[in-house]
Amino acid sequence: MNAAAVARSIAPDAALSPPDEGRLVVPVALGDWEAAARALHADHRLPLDLLWATDDRAASGSFGLHAAFALDASHEWIELVTAVPGADPVFPSITPRVMAAHWYERAVQDMFGLTAAGHPDPRRLVHHENVPPGTWPLRKDFPWDAKLPWAAEPHPLATVEGEGVFQVPVGPIHAGVIEPGHFRFSVAGERIITLEGKLFFTHKGVEKLLEGRTAAAAMPFVERVSGDSAASHALAFCQAVEAVARCRVPERARVLRVLAVELERFTMHLHDVANICGMGTGFTLLAAGGFRVKERLQRLSARLFGNRFFRGFVLPGGTARDLGAPELDDIEATLDGAWAEASGLFQIGLESDSLLDRLETTGVLSRDAAWAYGAKGIAARASGLDRDSRRDHPHAAYGTLPLRVPVRTEGDVDARVRIRLDEMAQARALVARGAAECRRSQGAPWSAPCEPADGDALGWTEGWRGQILDWVRFRGGVIDRAVVRDPSFCNWPLFGELGPGNIVPDFPLCNKSLNLSYSGTDL
Amino acid sequence: MSPALLTLVQGAIVVALAPLAPGLVRRFKAVLQGRQGPPTLLPYWTIATLFRKETVVSQSASWVFLAAPTAVLASSLLAACVLPLVSRGGALAPLSHLLAVSGIWMLGSVFLVLGGLDPGSAFGGMGASREMTISAFLEPALVVSLAALAIASGSPAVDAMMDVAGRGLLLRPWLLPAVGGLALVALGENARYPVDNPATHLELTMVHEAMLLEYSGPHLAILELASAVKLATFALLLANLLVPAGLLRAGAGPLAAAAAVPAAIAKLAVTMGGLALVESGMAKLRLYRLPEFFFGALFLGLTSLGIGLMAGFK
Repeated sequence: MNAAAVARSIAPDAALSPPDEGRLVVPVALGDWEAAARALHADHRLPLDLLWATDDRAASGSFGLHAAFALDASHEWIELVTAVPGADPVFPSITPRVMAAHWYERAVQDMFGLTAAGHPDPRRLVHHENVPPGTWPLRKDFPWDAKLPWAAEPHPLATVEGEGVFQVPVGPIHAGVIEPGHFRFSVAGERIITLEGKLFFTHKGVEKLLEGRTAAAAMPFVERVSGDSAASHALAFCQAVEAVARCRVPERARVLRVLAVELERFTMHLHDVANICGMGTGFTLLAAGGFRVKERLQRLSARLFGNRFFRGFVLPGGTARDLGAPELDDIEATLDGAWAEASGLFQIGLESDSLLDRLETTGVLSRDAAWAYGAKGIAARASGLDRDSRRDHPHAAYGTLPLRVPVRTEGDVDARVRIRLDEMAQARALVARGAAECRRSQGAPWSAPCEPADGDALGWTEGWRGQILDWVRFRGGVIDRAVVRDPSFCNWPLFGELGPGNIVPDFPLCNKSLNLSYSGTDL
Repeated sequence: MSPALLTLVQGAIVVALAPLAPGLVRRFKAVLQGRQGPPTLLPYWTIATLFRKETVVSQSASWVFLAAPTAVLASSLLAACVLPLVSRGGALAPLSHLLAVSGIWMLGSVFLVLGGLDPGSAFGGMGASREMTISAFLEPALVVSLAALAIASGSPAVDAMMDVAGRGLLLRPWLLPAVGGLALVALGENARYPVDNPATHLELTMVHEAMLLEYSGPHLAILELASAVKLATFALLLANLLVPAGLLRAGAGPLAAAAAVPAAIAKLAVTMGGLALVESGMAKLRLYRLPEFFFGALFLGLTSLGIGLMAGFK
């Protein structure tokens, strides 16, 4: 069934415009919101990939509530839209039926002051105890530079009590050089009973800061949402902007973008495998070697893009520059060298019983949990959920390049490591094909004018961590509202599933196997 | 050289060389992993720097927290003085009864655990609970391995075990498992792989380091020195069991004492090289797998002890 048929089945009376840029907008009444979402998720088995709100009170006196469900089979999205009256900002929570909505709805509560009626866990999410009640930063009447008084609101974390049960608070400041996040473990001896994270320490108001900016001015913010996914975040956001602007990106630019994103994927997977196997288990040989090889790829980025983090290359309309034959040779030679050395190194690890004993059966995420929580990327594919936006929602040049999506069913740390290794091999193949394509189309245009004026659109890509999904609305050439969703936002709650049952000293390994971004979640 | 002087000289040499042990193992590990690594003598600077820093004490900590480091160092120093490390037959050598030695080390562990528990932080408690679990498994393995050697030497004193060291081991091959068991115990007692990772920054996985997290300044320096002394003690003891050459005896002159220093350095370098090999070639064991490791050590010791007892070997 394609999007139009699905939409007719859930909202027979809705006035539908034809699908546009792979997206079908289905407006429903607020009273039908929950039933429509339930039908899409439960009856049609469509995963919820994004849920967000907009402040449309100036135009219509109401808030907009949007939810994007993916039709992977027909490469489409269904965007459910409803209006929540500004005078009585309450909407029925879909979380009891669509569990993946749980964090989105809590974020909407904090940022817009809309109440998710019937949410089973309506605690604060983004706001910490120091934010006064009634602070709704993404409402249009909230100034971006508002100074808030210091409050002391309740901010309880889920814990278990009982004889022999201890609370272990970890963070927000950690011993390693990582971002801030607080974790509360309830443990009986070494066994984890429950754990909950408190994130959003690095909330910096990215979505608010994007409002009122042009697409070009927004790019530096978007690329820094999560520093390790600069190229993929840029790609997803640019595609949303281009969809609004009706900009046809030249074929060569699409291939060049794939090169940048796949190089980023290879680099970060290399880092992760070295970090999981090396630092996570103490097999430091793999960390020392892996990080050394990764350095070569970051230097490649410095040579190609002028920085070590694949930033500044993907721009609305195309790319910032062309890559000539010497640079393509450089890319391939660097990648081949890195792969030869890294694969030999990791082979040592994968042949070590002591390492495999640590990785196997650690941090198991069941397929049902991955589906229910709306897991993204590696976490989903290692637990048997066969989803990859590069194949399911083709974009850039992915539709024309051969791609085999590795899927495993074990759901443990070992599976996540092996998925990464498979994807590194895939990335190398994609870069080789892409580079050949670029040599063939030498001299073709690699940028097109892109002037978004009015309208909204989705933009997406499969970053190395998982699906990045953005939604952006332009009014008069500037951003009216932008939603940037890193896969980390969907995957953080997974720790509540894959942590319990493990022992405390294995938790860092579970953590590294997902390697989620704090900054990309906190926005 | 009188026996009393011998003990003092040994204590001084071991303490002076102790920070070299962690420095050497870090250096060897770096070389094995293709890294440049920190300077070999860095632990000396670390300890000196920490002695000059101020101490920050948690408000919930009692005098136990402040006293524990001294007790831990005392235990390490005492073991370093009684055991045959650079000399034999010192004034304290009769104290090296195998039960006394294991008790001395246990005392250090207990005070370390108390110091970790006292400030009431979550990590100190976790490290303390793990340390006690590990100690409970290690202690029998240590005693049994030493007991096997005692049967061969005919005396419960570790000092006398040097009689069956080196060539004596080759003549009594049934003792080799006990030496292996002792080596495994040494890894556990010193919080090395595969029991603990001394280089980790992951608080949740720490054992020894977790108990040290709340310490700062001179107290931390004392604890660092104590663990360095303990590492050097085990390293020299194991090296002497295999190669008992270069041990000072009562009546040795100052020249011989001077020659004992390079011998000790050489022994440290070789054992630390072996330790670096172990630590570079494997992952840390899952915590719940550790009992298997400890039972391995225990059964190695029991094998030697059993054969020794049954066959009445001398």
